[in-house]
Amino acid sequence: MKARINLPDSVASLQDLTALMLEVREYTKWFSHNAILQRVSKKRVTRPMPLSPSASMLLRDWENIQPITVRSLDELIDILNLYKNTAPTITITLAAPATNDIKHTLIGWCRTNIAPNIMVAFGFNATLLGGMVVHHGSRIFDWSFRRQILNGRERFGEVLRRV
Amino acid sequence: MGITFLQLFLLVNVFIIGALSATAIRHAWAHFRPQKPKAEKPVVQTVHLPPEVKERMLATAQADFKAVLEKSTAELQKNLQETTEDLNQELEKLGGAVIKSETERYQTMLEALRVQAETVITTAQTDIKDHQTDLKAKLDENVTAEKQRLIAQMDTKLGDAVSSFLTETLQHNVDLGAQTQYMLATLEEHKAELIKGIADES
Repeated sequence: MKARINLPDSVASLQDLTALMLEVREYTKWFSHNAILQRVSKKRVTRPMPLSPSASMLLRDWENIQPITVRSLDELIDILNLYKNTAPTITITLAAPATNDIKHTLIGWCRTNIAPNIMVAFGFNATLLGGMVVHHGSRIFDWSFRRQILNGRERFGEVLRRV
Repeated sequence: MGITFLQLFLLVNVFIIGALSATAIRHAWAHFRPQKPKAEKPVVQTVHLPPEVKERMLATAQADFKAVLEKSTAELQKNLQETTEDLNQELEKLGGAVIKSETERYQTMLEALRVQAETVITTAQTDIKDHQTDLKAKLDENVTAEKQRLIAQMDTKLGDAVSSFLTETLQHNVDLGAQTQYMLATLEEHKAELIKGIADES
């Protein structure tokens, strides 16, 4: 289990990863069943099950690493399970619901700069006004506009006097 | 024998009583009827002087008596005058000494009182000055503290007002797309801190 694979940016949270694992398990079942059918009769092949873009991208990346077999798919599931158990998870709270572009941008930055398998969950809180609040475990990194305004309110008198 | 002795004894007693009674009666008589003493008869001058001699002797005696009386009077007056002068001098000296002593004592007392009063006044003035200085310092300190407190309170109120205004105004106008670069820059700025925090938690 030395192979490593980068998760698609669309797989951000543990829920996404769990859903992806379920999808890969279903695909593995289908692949195994289909492989048996092909061995029995080449004409009895079932239709390939529909996959989400994330799963398709993951399988394509996995196929580039090693050929798709039942065994390699089991190995992929093990890797995903390992990610699920060990991957660090952070929560980013924004001032508005994050769009997919913003999510992909932030997840890509986190997986490039922090850890390749990091899980990122998103939330929103309108009172933040802007910026972000990052939670990890018991740590909170508050880089929101609201925090900056509150921290800078003591200097408001000084600024007002300068004006 | 016994009866004879008793009779003799009684007879003696009767005799004694009789003698005592007689004495008592005589004294009582003398007490209630005292006898007037007999007037002595004047001594009869046996020497007779002629009237001229008698008059001359009387005049001489009168002159002598007068001279002695005048002399005694003059001496007495002189002595009285001297005594009066001495007494006056002594009284003057005594009075002067007493007045001098009392004056000196009075002046000393006055000087002591003056010094004491000056000391008390100086101390009181110093205390008043110190107290005024303390009060002024405390007043300045309180005024400065109150001024700073009011300024800080005003700044806090203004800061709260501006913060509330910004919060109420901007929270419905958030454009995350415009903030993407800012968020990436923030992440880059705090990259080390974030990685360290995650590593510590893991």
